[in-house]
Amino acid sequence: MNGQVLTRRAFLRVFAVTMAGISAAALSSCAQGTPAPSTATAVPAEGGTPPPAAAEKVSLRFWSHSNPAFVQANEELIKRYAERRPEVEIKYEYFPYSEFIQTIQTSMAAKSEADVMEMFGSWVQSYAKGGTLAVTPDDIVTVPQAHELFYAAPLDGYMWEGKLYGLPNEYNLENGGVLTNRRMFEEAQLPYPPDWKAWEELVSDAKKLVKYDGEVMTVAGFHYITGDGLGFLFWEGILERGGDYFAADKIHLNLASPEAEETVQWLVDMATKDKVVDPFTFNLESNWVGDAFFQSLVAIGYIGPWIVPVARINHPDFADPWDYVSCPHYGEKMSFAADSGWGKVVSPNSKAQRQAWEFAQFSTMDETNARFWNVTTGTVPALKKVAEDPTLLQDMDWLGPSLKVLPYGRYVGYLHDRDFIWYNVIATRLVETMQGQHTVKECITIMNEEANAMIDSKIKG
Amino acid sequence: MATAIARRTGKLQRSQRVFAACSLTPIMLYMMAFTLLPMIWAVIITFYRYSPTRQGANFLGLGGGNPFVGFANYLDLFADTPTGRLFRLAVKNTFVFALLVLPLNLCITLPLAVLIESVSERLKTVFRTIYFLPTVTSLVAVSLVWGVIYNPTFGLLNLVLRSLGLKGMAWLSDAQTKVLGVPLPMICLVVTYVWQDMGYNLVIFIAGLQSIPEVFKEAALVDGATSWQRFRYVTLPLLRSTLTFVIVMTMLSSWQVFVIFYVMTRGGPGNATRTLVLHIYETAFRHQEMGLAATMAMALFLIILVTTLIQLRLLRKEWEY
Repeated sequence: MNGQVLTRRAFLRVFAVTMAGISAAALSSCAQGTPAPSTATAVPAEGGTPPPAAAEKVSLRFWSHSNPAFVQANEELIKRYAERRPEVEIKYEYFPYSEFIQTIQTSMAAKSEADVMEMFGSWVQSYAKGGTLAVTPDDIVTVPQAHELFYAAPLDGYMWEGKLYGLPNEYNLENGGVLTNRRMFEEAQLPYPPDWKAWEELVSDAKKLVKYDGEVMTVAGFHYITGDGLGFLFWEGILERGGDYFAADKIHLNLASPEAEETVQWLVDMATKDKVVDPFTFNLESNWVGDAFFQSLVAIGYIGPWIVPVARINHPDFADPWDYVSCPHYGEKMSFAADSGWGKVVSPNSKAQRQAWEFAQFSTMDETNARFWNVTTGTVPALKKVAEDPTLLQDMDWLGPSLKVLPYGRYVGYLHDRDFIWYNVIATRLVETMQGQHTVKECITIMNEEANAMIDSKIKG
Repeated sequence: MATAIARRTGKLQRSQRVFAACSLTPIMLYMMAFTLLPMIWAVIITFYRYSPTRQGANFLGLGGGNPFVGFANYLDLFADTPTGRLFRLAVKNTFVFALLVLPLNLCITLPLAVLIESVSERLKTVFRTIYFLPTVTSLVAVSLVWGVIYNPTFGLLNLVLRSLGLKGMAWLSDAQTKVLGVPLPMICLVVTYVWQDMGYNLVIFIAGLQSIPEVFKEAALVDGATSWQRFRYVTLPLLRSTLTFVIVMTMLSSWQVFVIFYVMTRGGPGNATRTLVLHIYETAFRHQEMGLAATMAMALFLIILVTTLIQLRLLRKEWEY
């Protein structure tokens, strides 16, 4: 009996102590309401704690996701860095993509994250806003210098309130190119490779490429109904028609402008009037373009250039000859919005911030290293010098259409909850409209209300 | 002598207690670390606008960028905002799903169990294995296979329909087509789920049927009862405990369904198949609103608790055999 009492007491003691700790912390934060440390003060101006003496061995932890190509590229960069800076030891850890974000977040909460992390640019502003990333020191690169070196679209994802919170490796874009199936073009007796000057020409070809089995569309002429593609085409359509998807306050969105309405009408018409794609058969749930194209179900597929290296690995037996070719734009000048791209960020809790930033700089700003990283990972360069080097196409033969449009892109901007806007609002409502559930007017009204209601709720906190 | 025995027994009991304490303590610590503390943490963050992407004011990450908001997260679930509307839609969808799954599952598994129970022992094993196979198959694999079956272009279902001269359907992407007011994609997911899950209930029912003493059936037979009467007035009432267990467990798992929806539709088209757990997952890990997601999890807990209590109350019995 004694034993039982003691066990229960011991249990209750441990439980009480734990609960008291949690409650005290919870209540103290509730009572004091201390604001988060501002991003300006989160990092000492000189890049954190003073660097250890030159001879002292410094150890850095570096995290990324476990995509084999990314791991291979990073391992080589770590090797190169070890040759240059033998006193810095980099412990590289990588995680399956699904666990990567959660690992970063839980470790940030415990302030035990790695010194350097590979982060997607479109996530950076949320973390920077929350004070969980270090500001890039000026002696690594100043903001004006960074704008000289990198394209605006990837770089601006790493900017928050005028400060830089990391350095990009990749320019992640979906616009500017499409997949084309040469066999289908030849069977339809269309010129190949296509050289479309305007969207009307692409749509005209796409109409001839569509195939039916009875009433069922078996081949989509032009498949653009994807979660990502619809959002990027929507932004591009608004920008090229001279509008802006941000409202005047640059915080809310304006998705009900005449330019937005015109763009939605165009996107809907391609599916419902031109019938280049059946929105019931090819959509967010069925026949994703990245798979359907390589099953010969799509003649022209709207997707970013990143699909090419992925498809070469995933679909080595795909018999049809195919290419990634330039896609037209609306109006005189191309103008599109892009998600930033993968790059390196540094923890404000790092004990060796100086060395962490130097490694980030080595990986992203050194032309040779940056090029190696892009070629190995099959990604579009964020560093202008790498992208402008004509010999790059020898290593990445599919990038021609994308390289041409890089200067015309801008960062998509801080949307508060990018995925909500993209998938829950734009993609969902556009597909519903294509499927006949809303008129174009209703669609833009719903999108505008939903997007701004989300933004308001985020601002309200 | 008696004192010696008592001392000896006491000594033995003490050593047993030490052994029990040593055996149970690691499990208890494990449970505390990975079950109890996360549960307490989940309750705490329902009172905060908490996201791990924001810097808190203390070592727990609370306060500061993750401010205390009292019951605001709970009120958000009932507000006329996109957040509230989406949550309520997810609850409604999950309710519809559970309501469809439960009778369908019972209507298939109970008669099937009775039929299997009536065949020879060898055949019984074969049938039991066949029907149980989907249950032990990975849910992701099941979802992918059914995704291909439902594919509007080359899916098996549409190929069969077309070969019969009928029109194919966009099974997972046409939310406008409704069956008894339920969107077609939801019906498709119910079918997939029941196919995968029914083996479990089948085995439970077979075990339940085997536990009914033969004497009751024999007595009914002597009284001249038909097969249907024996099933209706003998088997079914005596299966009540099993039935209660199956109903409660099926309802619980239906409310917590996630994998099939995540892999096959991700809540689409529109939000026609957005279920509560999927919505909680997306709120937490896609939209990074852990506080709100934890609040939804509390709501789910309450829904499941109330549903289970109602079922237990309705199916309560006053006797045992």
